[in-house]
Amino acid sequence: MTDLLLFQLRRVGRNRQYVFFTIVLPALFTILFTQVFGAQATADGGQQDYGRLYMVSMMAYGAIGAALGATIRLAFDRSTGWLRQLRVVPVPPGTALAVDVAVGALLVLPSLVVVALVGRFVNGVELGLGSWLGLIAVLWAGSVVFVALGIALGVALDSQAAGAATGILGTALAALGGLWWPVEILPSALVTVAHATPSYWYASLGRDVVAGHAPSAPTVLVLLAFAAVFSAAALVVSRRRPLHAVAG
Amino acid sequence: MPDTPALDVQGLTVRYGGTVAVDALDLRIPRGATVALLGANGAGKSSTLNAALGLFRPAAGTVRLLGREPGEAIRAGGVGAMLQHGGLPGETRVGEVLTLVRRRYADPWPVEDLLATAGIEGLLGRQVDALSGGQRQRVLLALALAGAPPLLVLDEPTSAMDVEGRQAFWTTMRGLADRGHTVVFATHHLDEADAVADRVVVVDAGRVVADGSAAAIKSRVAGRTVRFRCPGPRAGLAALPGVTAVGGVGELVELATSDAEGTLRALLAERAELPGLEVRGATLEQAFLHLTTRPTDERSAR
Repeated sequence: MTDLLLFQLRRVGRNRQYVFFTIVLPALFTILFTQVFGAQATADGGQQDYGRLYMVSMMAYGAIGAALGATIRLAFDRSTGWLRQLRVVPVPPGTALAVDVAVGALLVLPSLVVVALVGRFVNGVELGLGSWLGLIAVLWAGSVVFVALGIALGVALDSQAAGAATGILGTALAALGGLWWPVEILPSALVTVAHATPSYWYASLGRDVVAGHAPSAPTVLVLLAFAAVFSAAALVVSRRRPLHAVAG
Repeated sequence: MPDTPALDVQGLTVRYGGTVAVDALDLRIPRGATVALLGANGAGKSSTLNAALGLFRPAAGTVRLLGREPGEAIRAGGVGAMLQHGGLPGETRVGEVLTLVRRRYADPWPVEDLLATAGIEGLLGRQVDALSGGQRQRVLLALALAGAPPLLVLDEPTSAMDVEGRQAFWTTMRGLADRGHTVVFATHHLDEADAVADRVVVVDAGRVVADGSAAAIKSRVAGRTVRFRCPGPRAGLAALPGVTAVGGVGELVELATSDAEGTLRALLAERAELPGLEVRGATLEQAFLHLTTRPTDERSAR
């Protein structure tokens, strides 16, 4: 299991696109948007608030991309026949899937930590140590929603659709869920849409923590519901279409 | 349990929707045998092997590899396989994949010898995505051999290889068979089955239609072919005793006969000379066609 985990981590980590979109881009956005838009907010003394919220949004954006990107790729390993090949190698059943879940969960951390470091040391966001750790902990735990979603899509989609989904889904979830701009400035119809996205609730976890309190019950419940639905979907689809089934 | 068969399939039935791909097939392969599963595309060879490897649950029947459930036998390191739809992971080098797979076995094949046997020396640093079709097949062979498994299951292993690659591959397989490995392979190349296997199982429409040595299967076709050169008229040849068909190109005459001796006596009686006379047994190809060609009435009913 450890062998396979390291093998998979190396494969994902050496994908430059993946590293760019899940770590470099969110970090650049954090700097750019806080310096540009935050400067206007300074007049109202809101720089610190703005910097915090935008940092949380970008942590969420990076984490969502990292979780999805690391798991949807299951579809590629199916289409090459690698998952089928693994079935005729001494590997306990379920290991391939468990490893990809672990890879998704682990690769969320660099995105969270790098954006947090940029927030702290480039944008001067100030939080207590407990809040920093709490922020990373809740966003790490919450990323299970997107790991589950990515696994479900990785199992369900063929490699072409999976490639497209990886690019589109992270962007759509960020835009609709209010990660790139605050939901408050959106027309009410789009606010309704935002509330239907898991990304909105995911970022809420972090917004609650930087506001100085524990994540609200509705936020946690909505995210648990999303995680349950995506996990169930992944389970149902993988029953009907096992990982080692011929791609087609 | 060295006395249990290497592969034991009883009453195997595989259905895809309404189509029966494998129809109550029985196949028992003792340890150390080299067996070809010979059949046309769609005959049920792959379905049989994939079910035997536990890649899907068959509609009916039991499967044992080395006396165990397929998954168990594989996890115990007893089985290596080249699958028709197996493949290598992208964004890796050949050496990384090989190391990963070798480490799954308690007693892997020594690496230098493995590379030489599979013919992939010099490919270890190569990106998997940059391999040619033949190189890819050889890497997959190395993965199948990585644990030095007693049982090798190969599903059309030479499909992406050129003629030389195929020859080298089968030389390797004969070497493995000599070392006591059980080799079971599916093929639709008659020459491969004829040259490599000490037992040929002919599969058609999901059933075993013949099972024996290549020579025994050839002899299932009772007929012989009588060949000679005949510059003159051919009238009357079809009426000779035993003759079932008259063929040949140019001067060459080929008589298919069910009674070679009777045909020859009549020919010798009526002709002063028979230049280039040959009497041959059936080829495996003729036997194969004979065995797998369905009666005309059944065919027209489709």
